[in-house]
Amino acid sequence: MIITRRSMLRGLFAGGAVSLGLPTLEMFLNVNGDAFADGSSFPKRFVLWFWGNGVIPTKWTPETIGANWTPSEQLSALSDWTQDVSVITGFEVKVDNLKAHLSGPAGFFTGIDVKVQGDDSSFRAASLDQVIAQSIGGETVLRSLEVGIAPGVKGLSFNGVDSQNPPESDPVKLYQRLFGPTFTEPGEELKIDPKLALRRSVLSAVMDDANALRQRLGANDKQRLEQHLDAVRDIEARLLKLESAPPNFEGCTRPAEPVPDEYLTVDGRPPMPVRNAIMSDLISMAMACDLTRVVSVWHCDPVGDVLYPGATSGHHQLTHDEPGDQPQFNEIVKSIVSHFGTFVGSLKSVGEGDGTLLDNSVVLGCSDCGLARTHQIDEYPILVAGRGGGRLKTGLHVRSDVKDSASKVPLTVMQALGMPVTEYGQDGTHVSSGLSELEA
Amino acid sequence: MPARAAWIIVIATSVSLGSCSYQEVNDPVLEVPRRVDTEPSQSLEYDPTVPASPSALRKLTRQEYIESAVALFGDEVLVPPTSEPDFITGGLAAVGAGTTTYSPRGVESFEEAAYALAKQAVEDSGIRSRVVTCEPSSESDTECFGQIFRPFMRRAWRRPVTDAEVAKAVSLAGEAAAATDSVDMGIQFGLAFTLQSPYYLYRIELGDGEELGAYEIASRLSFFLWNTAPDELLLDAAETGALATYEGLRDHAERMLADPRARSGFRSFYHDYLQLAELDSLSKDPTIYKAYTSALGPSSAEETLQLLEYLTFDLDADFRALMTTTTTFVDPTLAAIYDIAAPTSTGFARVNLNPTGPRAGLLGHAGFLASHAHPTSTSVTLRGKAVRNILLCQEIPIPPVGVDTSIPEPSGTAPTMRDRVAEHLQDPSCTGCHLLTDPIGLALEKFDSIGRFRETDNGYEIDASGDLDTVEFDNARGLGQAIAAHPAFTKCMARTMMRYALGRLESDAEAESHIDTLEARFEQSGYRLQALALEIVLSPMFRQVGGVER
Repeated sequence: MIITRRSMLRGLFAGGAVSLGLPTLEMFLNVNGDAFADGSSFPKRFVLWFWGNGVIPTKWTPETIGANWTPSEQLSALSDWTQDVSVITGFEVKVDNLKAHLSGPAGFFTGIDVKVQGDDSSFRAASLDQVIAQSIGGETVLRSLEVGIAPGVKGLSFNGVDSQNPPESDPVKLYQRLFGPTFTEPGEELKIDPKLALRRSVLSAVMDDANALRQRLGANDKQRLEQHLDAVRDIEARLLKLESAPPNFEGCTRPAEPVPDEYLTVDGRPPMPVRNAIMSDLISMAMACDLTRVVSVWHCDPVGDVLYPGATSGHHQLTHDEPGDQPQFNEIVKSIVSHFGTFVGSLKSVGEGDGTLLDNSVVLGCSDCGLARTHQIDEYPILVAGRGGGRLKTGLHVRSDVKDSASKVPLTVMQALGMPVTEYGQDGTHVSSGLSELEA
Repeated sequence: MPARAAWIIVIATSVSLGSCSYQEVNDPVLEVPRRVDTEPSQSLEYDPTVPASPSALRKLTRQEYIESAVALFGDEVLVPPTSEPDFITGGLAAVGAGTTTYSPRGVESFEEAAYALAKQAVEDSGIRSRVVTCEPSSESDTECFGQIFRPFMRRAWRRPVTDAEVAKAVSLAGEAAAATDSVDMGIQFGLAFTLQSPYYLYRIELGDGEELGAYEIASRLSFFLWNTAPDELLLDAAETGALATYEGLRDHAERMLADPRARSGFRSFYHDYLQLAELDSLSKDPTIYKAYTSALGPSSAEETLQLLEYLTFDLDADFRALMTTTTTFVDPTLAAIYDIAAPTSTGFARVNLNPTGPRAGLLGHAGFLASHAHPTSTSVTLRGKAVRNILLCQEIPIPPVGVDTSIPEPSGTAPTMRDRVAEHLQDPSCTGCHLLTDPIGLALEKFDSIGRFRETDNGYEIDASGDLDTVEFDNARGLGQAIAAHPAFTKCMARTMMRYALGRLESDAEAESHIDTLEARFEQSGYRLQALALEIVLSPMFRQVGGVER
């Protein structure tokens, strides 16, 4: 079952417009404000963490199965995190693989193969991050947040066909959007800008005003306009939220503003570890402050050609043209995996109740193909971190020797987040049971 | 429909191609070979039985958003950066704007940008004098607010506005003025409302199921020729019905082509056509390419735009000269790459390259050579694909999945790129596509990944000879001439400019009939780009729209 964004919004406005304005979370917090009154549930968060250009499965797959897995060559950077991260190997995205680099993520994130027309392509449905945001993202200032690590990354977050969400890959801009003038740190006096209410009136007028236009549109344009107006409605709800006190989470503090000199590209080579570290901390703080509960991180794009230090060609080009064992490409994968580890570590460093932010999160990491050189989408590389508030086991290597459907993973993830879903995908990608090994 | 029938008759009896004054081309470097095709020319008359296609709601492209704000507020306005990217469909952002949906992030940035623009309108005295045409005496001075908003909304929404619409802006202004105790704040909120409306953020050129309305024609015409919103003259012409006649439309199009804003409009088209936005993120390895600096991307885009602007407006030349001319425009960055003396210490100047040297036309531009190459090496496939896709409108099938696409490293037996890709050209599973692309790219191998000329690759002399669809050539110059003479090249330009004007792909019926007719008329004009634009404006495709599925 998929809850559409609009039906959900209609529900919110028809049934609960007033509750949106209240400091919902604070009402339910205990006296110390460090956990909810019932002692249990901090909000659950979801992060999709994607990198382009695949791996080398023979160097990726750990040799041992189950708990206490031994890191493989390409997963060596996760040696500190083997108890926090599960590795899922041997699974296949069950689509036709018509378009290199895109069929895999389309099948995995939407359950349907990609739409290709000449050089143009689009997912045919909302991507997993947006489906999840529609379900669990409604209460926060931002329904979802899309972040790029490599400069100018385009990402693969879709609201539906031909409707893509551009990630923010400039750390200062991301900081300003999250922690700029609109941000109130817990404990700070909330200063309500009188213009917020006026801006809401304007947004309301904009929506009313579109009625006459709607009448003139064909079905396709009407759908495009509705999505635009959904976004306007979202801004209106967001401005209203800014008028109430933020939730008082212990882990939430205003982070330092990034300094551009530290992350600028030098000699055509972006400092990826620095960019990743800055973005990881901004994202974990955005979730710790409950500005958003759903984030997609686009480390680098499919076919992206980031130049890494010492590499003689761009990332994607190396996957194809580097001969033999591909030592340079291997190092790039190892470095990307270390960035994933940095991100997991950042979530784990934020305390939340008796545990950490990571405990209340599900992080799903994956790439666009298995063996990069030939774009295989069997041996699809998948990483899962976080306990989903106790719904997931962690620290396992789960392997399928029969090319099981990769769709089991998104289904398990959504169920761990509390979504009332019983199936995922359609036709070849369809599954009605998740990955029981991961389920706590 | 009587009105429409009359329109067709007018077109049919009007064989004359307008009355632009055509400047003689006497630049000796503009040599264009004859066409090699022997097909009879297509009919010069549009087939009236071809059904009209529906028109889509068009998002403003990034550039249109900026230029629309400049048109409303004036040159001094600082248009804040927005977060909505352009999406390319059918090779053009202009078409992508009609197929994709505004993202929530983009809409959020438009909301913020609207207030940043509105603030300047009251705080900058120059902009204020243009926009704030009345000083409200109090928050309840609805008449004065209305005097400000009505003309502003007409310009912004590119159509007359209703009393109810003005009243809405006035009411928002009054509410804001009262809440903040500032009439200026009231003005800002009224303006910001106007700038967030779908009537501003979309180009609404939908027609009535048969033809565009007069204001919709004004909008399409203005964005096509000027890349910005219509001016008062054009809106007035819509109001008086002047744009509803062939002569009226032609006169306005000619007035607009003669206006300096047409240069900016055509630059925007060329930017989209040649996908020059790619050069914004150009990245090369400076340890390999010592002459590379981050200025190369923007400078090389500017070179291509300046040459096209020169050919189009200063010479009104045969468009095919783009592929053959040794005239170009360089700044010190490009002069260093081209190994010529910089003609200026800053900025661009026109230069004539060695008429018998290796570099001529677009294929010699650093921007073309660098954007279709890898960060650390050339790519014969990417360059060949760009020629096929962009210049000849030929589709190359997407590469199959599951094929090892690596080319061997240079070796003693295969030292040059030509030797190395020879494998692709022998393996039957590769030849299908790579024979279409790689021979073109090999002709450009004497230019490295940033467009510098070189004689050798790995110490071995480069052989840049080959053939394009059976027309043989010795080097990049010869390839440029072969493209200029290729029948697909001029037809591709006609099709691409039409797509840009309409913001949509052509239907199969239009592709087989109207586009051929347009190309025939383009040929008859001597392949002049201003004439092509005028032909497009006066074609049935420009103003006819079919009904849509509801």
